[in-house]
Amino acid sequence: MRFPRITRATRRVAMLLAASALLLGIPAAVASASSATTGTGWIRLAHLSPNTPPVDVYLYSFGNSTAQIVLHHVAYGTVSPYEEVNAGDYSVAMRSAGASPSSQPVLSTSVTVEAGHAYTVAGMGPESGLRLQVLDDSLTTPAGKSLVRVIQASLKQPSVKFHCSCAPGAAGDIVTKASFASVSPYATIPPGTWTMSATGPSASTSLPVTLTAGTVHTEVVLDGANGLEIVNLIDAAGAGQPPAGGVTTGFGGTAGHGPGSPLPWVAVIGAGALITLTGGLQLGRRRLRRQPDTGI
Amino acid sequence: MPSRRPAAIVFAAGLAVVAAGTAGLLLTRHPTPVLRPVAAGVAALPAPTGPIVAVPQSAAPGPVASPVSLTIPLIGVKTKLITLGLAAGGALQVPSSTSVAGWYTGSPRPGAIGSAVIVGHIDSLTGPGVFYRLSELRRGDDVYIARADGTTAEFRVTSVQTYLKDRFPTQAVYGPTPDAELRLITCGGVFDPATGHYLSNIVVYATEVS
Repeated sequence: MRFPRITRATRRVAMLLAASALLLGIPAAVASASSATTGTGWIRLAHLSPNTPPVDVYLYSFGNSTAQIVLHHVAYGTVSPYEEVNAGDYSVAMRSAGASPSSQPVLSTSVTVEAGHAYTVAGMGPESGLRLQVLDDSLTTPAGKSLVRVIQASLKQPSVKFHCSCAPGAAGDIVTKASFASVSPYATIPPGTWTMSATGPSASTSLPVTLTAGTVHTEVVLDGANGLEIVNLIDAAGAGQPPAGGVTTGFGGTAGHGPGSPLPWVAVIGAGALITLTGGLQLGRRRLRRQPDTGI
Repeated sequence: MPSRRPAAIVFAAGLAVVAAGTAGLLLTRHPTPVLRPVAAGVAALPAPTGPIVAVPQSAAPGPVASPVSLTIPLIGVKTKLITLGLAAGGALQVPSSTSVAGWYTGSPRPGAIGSAVIVGHIDSLTGPGVFYRLSELRRGDDVYIARADGTTAEFRVTSVQTYLKDRFPTQAVYGPTPDAELRLITCGGVFDPATGHYLSNIVVYATEVS
């Protein structure tokens, strides 16, 4: 089987890219601390190549030839829910829909899942140049805000402007000239219901999207049956206004009590010592007094 | 020698008092343990019947009905859920009754993407509260939330953590998650009689079973 060799090669490339990203100081997506405690992260899989027929997507734990997750007949525009997986190295392989699981994959890539991080692995580009792209998905937002990024997956409209009718002062154009198969950075948007619009050279569309504070969204621009289409994905959601600190949920009715003060017992010991001393002194004095009578 | 007898008695009595005092001191150096029932290892309650529905997390997630009750079979919890907001100062409100739990309305509904927050008391002034046995939960235990539309969401515990309240990890507990999760929170750790509060919070992390 040549597939593992391909994966090892891609893995090396991925590690090289990751290392150079570190060197360049590109910030990685911020982790969710909750799953960091359980050593798990998340992966979702997507088909965003307009002229590629449906595929079966396989997720392998690295070095394991049995797939951990298989998604069958994934068509263009499909994004799976997140799957929680243990932190570690994985490979993602795409095969034509219905192809044998042991057949050579059309393409594969590796992804390293860090605990508390979420990733989108998407098949992107035209069929002739199809590639699997691993995206780091953000799991945190600035306080009271929402994050929105755009994936431009329309082949028919090669350059798209993506606009948000957001509050004054907020990002208006999230991306101005998004080329096909590109992913924008996350833009910070205030909560509210906004009109998101995608405009290409010969087609445009719009979609009302409600953003609540503390949520992360990805807007995917697709080639629809009639022109452009926007798909609104929720990457992550949390409490829009996180409570401050812990909670006060106990009155102590079942709590244990700490040891009482040792002072009463110390006083008892002291009193006992005094009594012992008194008795001892009396005994000693009598012995002294009786000494002449014994005739020594 | 009869004349020595009172002094000897006093001496012996003194030794006895010292021994008694020492014994008393040593025996009371340990704190009285926290009252905790032994986990039976079998569910104290049956799992709820009725349709268990994981709302599909598709591109356009449907609305998720609001939560109405909580069942944790293993520790015998079956409670209605009241709604909680934020108190003055931004802290999370807690139920006024120690025998019911509450859902923080500022968090996602259980079963929607994100971490739904549910809070209950460990005890009252006199005895156990609704979340008295929460710390007995372990990874893999089941938690059920019934919703207003008659459906039930099933969650599985992924981890149980104890945090000092002054080091409460707000981001981990309340921060965004990419899937439908649950946080069950109560008090725990050492009870401080001076303030009348426990020093720690117990947080149970659970993820919806899809």
